[in-house]
Amino acid sequence: MDKEKACEAPALVMECALDMGETMLRCGAEILRVEDTITRICTTYGGGIVDVFTILSLIILSWKTDAGENYTLTRRINPHSTDLDKLEDLNALSRYICENKPPCGEITQRIGEIMAPKERRIRKSKMAGYVLLASAFAIFFGGNLRDGLAAGIVALLMYLWDYFFSAHGRNRVVYSLFMSIVAGVLCSLSVVIGIGQNVDKVMIGSIMLSIPGINLMNALRDMMCGDIITGILRLAEALMVAVAIAAGFGIAIMMFGGGLV
Amino acid sequence: MGDFLGKYSVMIVTAALGTAGYCLNVNVKRNRIVYGCVGGVISTLLYCVFVEAQLSLLLQNLIPAAVVTFYAEVLARVVKAPATVFLIPSIIPLVPGGRLYYTMRAIVDGEGADAKVFAMETIVIALGIAVGIVVVSLVFYHISHKRIQFKVRFEQRG
Repeated sequence: MDKEKACEAPALVMECALDMGETMLRCGAEILRVEDTITRICTTYGGGIVDVFTILSLIILSWKTDAGENYTLTRRINPHSTDLDKLEDLNALSRYICENKPPCGEITQRIGEIMAPKERRIRKSKMAGYVLLASAFAIFFGGNLRDGLAAGIVALLMYLWDYFFSAHGRNRVVYSLFMSIVAGVLCSLSVVIGIGQNVDKVMIGSIMLSIPGINLMNALRDMMCGDIITGILRLAEALMVAVAIAAGFGIAIMMFGGGLV
Repeated sequence: MGDFLGKYSVMIVTAALGTAGYCLNVNVKRNRIVYGCVGGVISTLLYCVFVEAQLSLLLQNLIPAAVVTFYAEVLARVVKAPATVFLIPSIIPLVPGGRLYYTMRAIVDGEGADAKVFAMETIVIALGIAVGIVVVSLVFYHISHKRIQFKVRFEQRG
């Protein structure tokens, strides 16, 4: 590798690498991908030996440059929601960095562009996604059209709930529990009013809204790549969320007088 | 054939719609949504075929998951995007949301025997999907992760 542009200050390079790693992790990348990206950026800009350790909530980066100096940075990663659109952009950016070696300033700027907070507003596409998902799966699992309609209405209300009591709280398990209780109550109400006919199908449609699919998938992929720690963390979270969802709907059913326990 | 379509066409159509909804939900790029839908249709179609062929519950989910993983990994290399973008939407129709609900329902109703059966089925399905994904991904993992950089501090022999 040529060292023409290896004149950036190590602290800057590490900052860049960590920015890249953090954003990728937040958007739902695997650990192996994150560690590989960080290692590549550091060695591309300054050679030396890179030690990087990543789990779901922390990145530790230690770098011994060719000049013989040692640097260490750690970064805490906060809870996050998955965004596959940004993940794809970041993937393209890391490809670009490895090919072109742009100056660190440019990298930071481009990461900023990708991660720029979008204004908080009610997004029609996401709302459509909620409605489509819930009503399609209510019918998929054997409901009729009226069940689909009821599930769609519930999903619309759930989107608004999600919007006002945002999902970015620290504890996803508790949040899922409350969200499921609300969803379960709404489903039961829709049947009581007479929009839906089979309460079970309407509820299944709403359950599909909050299933922790991405977490489970990433847990699998991480464990497969040998990152058992993060795999277990993700798996534990996904299972707890699944149990919380079931418990939430169970509570809602009991509120409406179903169940014997 | 016509019989088969009559029985399962609703499932396939709703699977495509639901997958599109999921793509919008996790913010997949607009021009990639079609790939996710195709994946969802493939997995549902195979699932229906295997239900009709009366394979075991494990295989009903394992084979579609494996095929869809293959589809996603190949597509990822063709389109140059992470495989996750195509894989997760494609798997969604296989997720045992219905079984999860009936497990919970049986527990709430105090019917232990039913709860046990449904819980077993949920776990078997989840296991089938997981094994299907892992088996195929491992192959691709060994093909494509040769270039991963590991630190070199001490020279290794061999």
